[in-house]
Amino acid sequence: MTPESKKRGVWNIIKREVRLFGSHPIYIFCMLGAPLVSIIFFLTLMGQGLPVDLPIAVVDLDNSATSRSLIRQLNAFEQTEVVMITMSFTEAREELQKGTVYGIFHIPKDFSKQTTTGKQPTVSFYTNSSYLIAGSLLFRDMKTIAVLAGASVGLQQGTAEGSTKDQLMAQLQPIALDTHLLGNPWLNYSVYLNNSLLPGILQLMIFLITVFSIGSEIKYGTSRQWLQMGNYSLAVSLLGKLIPHTMVFTTVGFMYCAAMYGFNAFPLNSGWLPMLAAMFLLVVSSQAVGVFMISTLPTLRLGLSFASLFGMLAFSVVGFSYPVLDMHPAIQALANLFPLRYYFLIYIDQALNGRELYYSWIQYVGLTVFLILPFLMGKNLKVALMHFKYVP
Amino acid sequence: MNTEKRLRHIIKEGIIDSFYIWKEELRNVFRDEGVLIFFFLVPLIYPVLYALIYNNEVVREAKMVVVDQSDSYLSREFTRRVNATPDVQVVAVCADMAEAKKMLDEKKAYGILLFPSEFSKDLHTGKQAKVSLYCDMSSLLFYKAFLLSATEVSLELGKEITARNNPASTDELQQIILNPIPYESVVMFNSQSGFASFLVPAILILVIQQTLILGIGMLGGTARERNRFHSLVPVNRRYSGTLRIVFGKSLAYIILYTVVCLWALAIVPRLFSLPQAGNPWDVMLFILPYLFACIFLSMTLSGFMTTRESPMLVFVFTSLILLFLSGVSWPMHSIPPFWRAFGYLFPSTPGIQGFIRINSTGATLSEVANEYRLLWIQVGFYFVTAFIIYRYQIIRSQKRLGIQCQYLKDKRSGGGNNKS
Repeated sequence: MTPESKKRGVWNIIKREVRLFGSHPIYIFCMLGAPLVSIIFFLTLMGQGLPVDLPIAVVDLDNSATSRSLIRQLNAFEQTEVVMITMSFTEAREELQKGTVYGIFHIPKDFSKQTTTGKQPTVSFYTNSSYLIAGSLLFRDMKTIAVLAGASVGLQQGTAEGSTKDQLMAQLQPIALDTHLLGNPWLNYSVYLNNSLLPGILQLMIFLITVFSIGSEIKYGTSRQWLQMGNYSLAVSLLGKLIPHTMVFTTVGFMYCAAMYGFNAFPLNSGWLPMLAAMFLLVVSSQAVGVFMISTLPTLRLGLSFASLFGMLAFSVVGFSYPVLDMHPAIQALANLFPLRYYFLIYIDQALNGRELYYSWIQYVGLTVFLILPFLMGKNLKVALMHFKYVP
Repeated sequence: MNTEKRLRHIIKEGIIDSFYIWKEELRNVFRDEGVLIFFFLVPLIYPVLYALIYNNEVVREAKMVVVDQSDSYLSREFTRRVNATPDVQVVAVCADMAEAKKMLDEKKAYGILLFPSEFSKDLHTGKQAKVSLYCDMSSLLFYKAFLLSATEVSLELGKEITARNNPASTDELQQIILNPIPYESVVMFNSQSGFASFLVPAILILVIQQTLILGIGMLGGTARERNRFHSLVPVNRRYSGTLRIVFGKSLAYIILYTVVCLWALAIVPRLFSLPQAGNPWDVMLFILPYLFACIFLSMTLSGFMTTRESPMLVFVFTSLILLFLSGVSWPMHSIPPFWRAFGYLFPSTPGIQGFIRINSTGATLSEVANEYRLLWIQVGFYFVTAFIIYRYQIIRSQKRLGIQCQYLKDKRSGGGNNKS
């Protein structure tokens, strides 16, 4: 086969594939519709960055000026909203179980009297950690208030004795901790989650569409015709078929980057190039994994099942919610089989932390290594394309 | 008299046909390996897999480096105590920040604790001393581990220093000065704030809905591919009543999923010691409408599936969106109103909310009344839509059959008006 005829073969198959896009709306849905729905959903869902005004109940058994001022201060936090003030703990607990509040702040009886007379009244707070994010955010606010309440009483007593405020702070809290969150100083959940969820959805859709487009040829008995257009060269046929997909998915991926780093101004400390390169490599390596899936299980339904299950697993195994280092070693090994894992590590080093490219090159290589996969099972795929008879 | 007889006959026939359809549907399920994957393999393996992934529940021994410019007894004591907490491990003490940052770059550590040179001096001269914590934000759980441990140590050590600097006459008085308002915190229902206990129950419920949608969608798609006129229902006298079809099929699915639920909601949580605070009767009564709502929703959606593979292409990615809509990770109160309303279209939203409250926080059925009511409303609504879908399909295939019969009759009766 001459290079000239190869080129013509690729070009003809590209044209054939684009026509398929037009006649099968499912392609448009999976390649453009699903990614679009996802990005709109996740960016609007977490538009505020952090959940705000999480409802809590206060059990105020004291009902004095001091306790009310404490409640006001608690309400002033951005994350906390006091939706219920009650005298009965049982009532508050029921609300917790009904899910209308995520936490309870308990002010004991005679709270203000005891503080002024130097007895130690204990305040307590309860958080529902079945909702982990809400629970931890409320824990932080309620703990701060509890500490501040103690400090303000100490301050009052201290100023009565005639010390300056600086001296008092040093006495009340001799060691202050100031925290710096590298790369994401606002603790923005949208930055934290979308940088991995959205590429994860893209990876899933690429797995599915790659398997679907090749598997359909087998199912509908058009695979021989397709191979023939590429002069029975699997490389030529695959190239022609997948190039249009690569172009569409890369465009979608770049749009994701534009929406996150441009439109929403997520941290991008590395500049555009490293992330766009990673995005492109994520697309082609996911396609390679897709080809591998349909080559190993050359029936459409099994290939697609494989792609769905594997693609969904990525969201948990890749480790942006729960760190991979703390998983079972077998699961840690499994994580390396996902292109998304390498993309995620590149994102951490490049966009989030702006580290030297030196620290990421191995991940770029990792993504590129996936491109070998189609060659490993190529023979299997070709046999299936030539001789496989679809059994429904 | 006559009508009564007829009615009795119709009911009897209906029941017999329903059971025939039930049997046929079970046969369809067990003959189809694609459906079996989603009905049994996924519900069997996924819960175990997720429980394994998050099995360690919390981060232990997150790696931290210390930059100690103070190099004093107090800074070393601080470091020692941070290292002694279960959540954090101090892997190195570096000479300067550049070296520490490099360790972060090389992923040898995920946080830096910096003691400035005047740390010890400030403490001894009665000024407030500062410790800086730098966190790599690649995982929020690392950040949480560092923050909690360092805060704990700074408060504790601070108190001891104040006590030493301001000796009071009695221990009791000392306590009052140091700690005028003590506080206690209680983390309820998931006391170690574990990740598996938080996320896996939600996933278990979601897996039930999604596998039903995929499996039933696949059965529908297969029927459309295989049946005459690409109709959802086969041309068969026994499949002529819509109610029979809906009852027969849903009965088949509910029986299969009783087994699945037993595994996913009773056995898996026990195996991995996930929270199980609910009354089993409440759980069962709550899951019943959830299953029916999921089944009728799936039967409705299956009407739109023209090939057996389309459900996987269309529905798999929605799992992630549905998980976030359920309000388990992103709190329900912070979800924008539009999305919140949208979420209530799917059984998974009230299903996950209610199940977590019953199962993890020990709520009773009356405390999840809102969700419970919503699920029954969904059962009713999706029953009607499923009914309409099947009714439409029956009418459609009967019409086609009629046209074909007419066509054949015309053809046989003579060649004159033969349209090619």
